Amino acid sequence: MTVTSEAKVISTRPHHTLWGDAIVRLRRNKFAMAGLAFIVVLSLAAIFAPLLTHYGFAQQNLYEILQSPSWKHPLGTDQLGRDTFARLLYGARTSLAVGIFTQFIVLFIGLPVGAIAGYAGGKVDNYIMRFVDVMYAFPDILLIILLRSVLGGSIFMLFLAIGLVAWVNIARLVRGQILGLKSRDFVNAARAMGGEGSYITWRHLLPNSLGPVIVSVTFNVPRAIFTEAALSYIGIGVKVPTPSWGAMIQDGFNLIFSKPYMLLFPAIALALLMLSFTFLGDGLRDALDPKQRR
Amino acid sequence: MFRFIVRRILWLLLVLLVVMFITFILMHLVPGGPWDREKALAPKVVEALNKRYGLDQPLWQQFGNYVWGVIRGDLGTSYSWADRNVISILLQGLPKTMTLGILAFLLAQAIGIPLGVAAALKQNSGVDYFSVLFSTVFASIPGFVLGILLMIVFSVMLHWLPTSGWGSPQQLIMPVICLAALPAAQSARITRASTLEVMRQDYVRTARSKGLLENRVRIRHIFRNSLIPVVTIAGPELANLITGSFIIENLFAVPGVGRLFVQGIFARDYSLIMGGVLFYAFTIAILNLVVDIAYAAIDPRIRYD
Amino acid sequence: MKPILEVCNLSTNFHTQDGIVKAVDNVSYNIGRGETVALVGESGCGKTVSALSVLRLVAEPVGKITQGSVFFDGVDLLKLPENEMRKYRGSRISMIFQEPLTSLNPVVTIGSQIAEGLETHKQMSHHEAINEAINLLKLVGIPHPESRVNDYPHQFSGGMRQRVMIAIAIACKPELIIADEPTTAVDVTIQAQLLELIRGISKELNTSLILITHNLGIVARYAHRVFVMYAGRIVESGTSLEVYHHPDHPYTAGLLASVPRLDEPRKLRLEPIKDQPPDLISLPPGCAFEPRCGYAIDQCRKEKPDLIEISRNHFSACWVAQKGHKPWQKKSS
Ligand SMILES: Nc1ncnc2c1ncn2[C@@H]1O[C@H](COP(=O)(O)OP(=O)(O)O)[C@@H](O)[C@H]1O
Ligand SMILES: [Mg+2]
Repeated sequence: MTVTSEAKVISTRPHHTLWGDAIVRLRRNKFAMAGLAFIVVLSLAAIFAPLLTHYGFAQQNLYEILQSPSWKHPLGTDQLGRDTFARLLYGARTSLAVGIFTQFIVLFIGLPVGAIAGYAGGKVDNYIMRFVDVMYAFPDILLIILLRSVLGGSIFMLFLAIGLVAWVNIARLVRGQILGLKSRDFVNAARAMGGEGSYITWRHLLPNSLGPVIVSVTFNVPRAIFTEAALSYIGIGVKVPTPSWGAMIQDGFNLIFSKPYMLLFPAIALALLMLSFTFLGDGLRDALDPKQRR
Repeated sequence: MFRFIVRRILWLLLVLLVVMFITFILMHLVPGGPWDREKALAPKVVEALNKRYGLDQPLWQQFGNYVWGVIRGDLGTSYSWADRNVISILLQGLPKTMTLGILAFLLAQAIGIPLGVAAALKQNSGVDYFSVLFSTVFASIPGFVLGILLMIVFSVMLHWLPTSGWGSPQQLIMPVICLAALPAAQSARITRASTLEVMRQDYVRTARSKGLLENRVRIRHIFRNSLIPVVTIAGPELANLITGSFIIENLFAVPGVGRLFVQGIFARDYSLIMGGVLFYAFTIAILNLVVDIAYAAIDPRIRYD
Repeated sequence: MKPILEVCNLSTNFHTQDGIVKAVDNVSYNIGRGETVALVGESGCGKTVSALSVLRLVAEPVGKITQGSVFFDGVDLLKLPENEMRKYRGSRISMIFQEPLTSLNPVVTIGSQIAEGLETHKQMSHHEAINEAINLLKLVGIPHPESRVNDYPHQFSGGMRQRVMIAIAIACKPELIIADEPTTAVDVTIQAQLLELIRGISKELNTSLILITHNLGIVARYAHRVFVMYAGRIVESGTSLEVYHHPDHPYTAGLLASVPRLDEPRKLRLEPIKDQPPDLISLPPGCAFEPRCGYAIDQCRKEKPDLIEISRNHFSACWVAQKGHKPWQKKSS
């Protein structure tokens, strides 16, 4: 009796409806949709920046320094006569690139390490987790700064430095997910039917932990964006003249009393972008939360 | 309990050793050395300096010397600060960083916990929506962006507060608010979630079935349980405040540990960098230990042995 | 005898994402002073909710009592303001919950959890209340009560925790105790001990007892009368012996067939009732048991049967029984 009713429950609730339901729920979440819209618009603006402004991000004009917003320079110019709007658009490229490419490194390291720890268990797991504990004892941003100094100045090395520090969260998450799923029946069933170790991991376990990983990555993006901005603000982020919101904030800082908007525009852009990713992450988490499934 | 603490302290020492090792390796991988100046120093001078600071010895020996120094409570001499002892430099910044961190922590809890509790008790009310918005916004806006906005409003537009510096209480206001924003958001969010969770528990229903006054149900049965997760994140929060403050210290020109540390990085001041990293790692580890002990004190189910 | 508790036409709904759950639907029952009645039914049929409704502890705003009255000692509890209602809880009516593992606060000593009701209702000092808690722990059979009074719930076994719950429930010597499946979550070997303890105490204090259970096998031994619930409604009621030996509803007969009976040689096979209880959100228009019933007639599909007295003091909500046929009785006996 119970067997048949179980079977019925499973067949009326096929696995993919989790994603279908999630998308429906996500689309109902106004904040998440607003965040997504801002991210999309900003990404398009960053990609098509040359179509939106005819100024280059490094194009100086010493006759037009420190101008207030006008028709010619919608957001004014900086101390070297560079157009703030253009720098903001090209700076978005930097922020988005850091936010997104860092996650590839994070996933590239975090997923396999977490999966190995969770699946292998025992000694391997123990050593990996000890190492992760040590990583946690390190203040993130300090380690990034040290790595930054070691790895040198290119922007790819910046991705690497941030990624090398941020993967531990994902590894922990995946390990936890796998430990939880490992005890569930369908994995045992697959193993009983003679599935081979790593095959089982990839075929059954990873797809199941995909939801939490996506959520975690979405929350990691603004963190990476913030890190880049903070480093550039201090002066150890991207190299000049690469435009970066953090560097623009630093440039504007000395002129806070005379030209406060030089500081204001990049600060607000940064806040909005981070807020958007947080809204999206919250929305995804709520949409994918199995506890909400009834 | 005692054995737990001893074990944790041993683990802490091991972690600090590994942290020192990693930092040491990374520092020496950094191209350039502490004597790189605009105008290159004469090789003779560099040699003499290296000899004086022991930088001519093999790396493993340098590391050994350093660890031995740390054991004796000596973090070495700064290269950039006219031979001053690293400990004395850090101690000079410490009270400022600690003052900011602790004030921000208290402010964050004073805002976050009541807000989270009020939101949970009146779910879906105006307070609740406000608390959710508050936690989302301040969890995602970086402290230094908030600092800039505050500066523009209160210093530039209103001329109420000084933009930077250290010494007067007014100079504390903005840095403390910027630091407190994130932990306040986290505390509000966690308090709300855990209070909602606890309110659903069977034992709260049991308490009500005894006919207790509503206040007693809330204080003894709901809050005592719902604040446990808040305590567990207090350690990481405080650690973040103390270690993460260097950007805020830079922004508001507060001469705290963080600012010294950043200066050390620019000057490639090995011993100052090492001292800073060690200080931060030590702070994080100690705070986590304290929280674990506090955790056992509030939750009788937790027993360490 | 005037009943101590009289529940009339009580309905309680839950508003969920999927729709309105009619957990308790137009339920009436009563219990006299010193009497023990049983409320029986499969899990999910609304037993707990109907008990919580009496104490007005249904989780709002999701759950709501939509109609009816609950007279306790002549007062309609549903009409009382909250602070008056509070004075009844724990002092005159108390409840023993189903899950001893989750029903005790993990961070408060059991002594304090027993004492706080006494402090609230009997104006005892904390010290007096703790002393009384020690007496109560002794009464419910917990060894070394003087030291255990300072222990926390996780230091007790499941059975011991349920004894603590009993001590909490009887602390203020209430006139009515509702025991909600008090033995479901504990070891089989301890179940009988706990039931005997509850029965002994209620006799001693002359307390009325509502015993909620899904095991119809035990009611004959412990209850004077029994109310059988199905899908939020009462489908049969009568004296325990009557119901036990001559069930007037096929659902009751099904329940009896699914538990070991004391009066029969051990059966080789217990027969569970086929299929699952219905979804309380979309109930069929006719009798809710009809889809699972082997004796259904056309009328069962179309109209809901009312609870009607079939023989003296024996009520049934079944069209077939109301027509005088009881084919299930032949089968079960
Ligand atoms: N808090 C709640 N929210 C929604 N539905 C509930 C809630 N509590 C109970 N129910 C529903 O009410 C019905 C009766 O539950 P209950 O009284 O606990 O049954 P039982 O007879 O097992 O004690 C069930 O279908 C259950 O799903
Ligand atoms: Mg129940």
